[in-house]
Amino acid sequence: MNQDSSLIEQIVERYDRDVGMLIPMMQDLQAECGYLPTDSLRALAKRLNVPLMRLYAVATFYASFRLAPKGAHEVSLCMGTVCYLKGSAGISQAICKEFKVAPSGTTADRLFTFTAVNCVGACALAPVMVVDGKYYDGVTSESALEILQGLGPAEQAAQADAKEAAE
Amino acid sequence: MPTVTIDGHSVEVERGATVLDAARYAGIWIPTLCYHPALSSEASCRLCMVELDRGDWRQLVTACNYPVRHDVIVYVMSERAQQARRGVMELLLARSPDSQELKELAERMGVKGTLWPKVTESQRNCILCGLCVRVCEQIIGKSAIGFAGRGADRTVAAPFRQPSEDCIGCGACAAVCPVGTIEVRVHKDECEVEISPFKSRVKLLVCKQCGAPILSTQVCEQALRNVGWATCLPMQACSQGNVGMGRKSAHATFWPELRKRLRLCPKCRRLQTAGRVASP
Repeated sequence: MNQDSSLIEQIVERYDRDVGMLIPMMQDLQAECGYLPTDSLRALAKRLNVPLMRLYAVATFYASFRLAPKGAHEVSLCMGTVCYLKGSAGISQAICKEFKVAPSGTTADRLFTFTAVNCVGACALAPVMVVDGKYYDGVTSESALEILQGLGPAEQAAQADAKEAAE
Repeated sequence: MPTVTIDGHSVEVERGATVLDAARYAGIWIPTLCYHPALSSEASCRLCMVELDRGDWRQLVTACNYPVRHDVIVYVMSERAQQARRGVMELLLARSPDSQELKELAERMGVKGTLWPKVTESQRNCILCGLCVRVCEQIIGKSAIGFAGRGADRTVAAPFRQPSEDCIGCGACAAVCPVGTIEVRVHKDECEVEISPFKSRVKLLVCKQCGAPILSTQVCEQALRNVGWATCLPMQACSQGNVGMGRKSAHATFWPELRKRLRLCPKCRRLQTAGRVASP
């Protein structure tokens, strides 16, 4: 908690305690913590002397702010026009059903955060799913579930990456 | 002063007054939901739309926040204005199908039900007019509730959708809610007041004499603070509790008396005063 309050203090001082810089402050907080922890938002509201509701309103208005920790992996499914026409809505439904996750939500075991995004700019590969920056093209409900089931905890992924890099 | 001509009736109003002010002054009814004279106008419900004569064309404007700067001609009962308002009302009815207040207003406007699909349960019966949000911020100064989410997911909520710590249980939001969705619930057993649907709860002050709940303890505290600030300076004296020490006479008797009276419900207070009058 002490460390937390010094972090808030640092962020607030970075912007000269200017309430108008609330969004950059919240972005910095999210960059440090990976998400916006409830207690930190509370401390920030108190420090800036603005109602907590204002911070919550901002945090829920912008899709880039998250109030819950991210999963170990980041999964984005393209919902752009072409991907949509090629059936990404069905894939999304299949993923949500299989892993009991809501769009822009995280699985209960924090394995991955699932986001339906608008266009990843790879329409020729539609439908596209991006897992931790790796593009998978022409996915179907079955292949998408297969890819996600193959995901391990973050440490394993990092080790695999390191191995790949070493080779 | 500029002249506003509404459906052929002319009234003079102050510069900067709204079309709605002019209409009310002229005795012409324009339906409103998100308008409250004590709060800023946000024109979020769109129910007060009227037609404004722009010379060679007519523009639909919201009467509640359209300021009159020069002579204007306004049509309230024109076909287009009525159509626009009825269309809005049909959408609002779909959002808040259970509200008796809304049904009555719809009937007065000549709208018979709605063909639009009803909204999902979580957003039911709130028309997102923002009156409760504005009253909590502008009058009470607490901002215990506000808008969360955006677009179709926008709702009025307390921070983290949990009971708010900032709520003082005053019930102002319930009082201004035009569709009767926000309610004040008194839990007699726990001696608490709950603001539904936000689930915020605050302890109630009970009458020392008869035990009836009077008002929320935090409303009482805030009222005392406000009275303290307004009537006796320096402020320091107020916060230390020995109010009136610096400024003698009136305050010295006023403050303890007020504190004593605040502990009684209105009925017991009247009885006590009557008793004193009867036997001085």
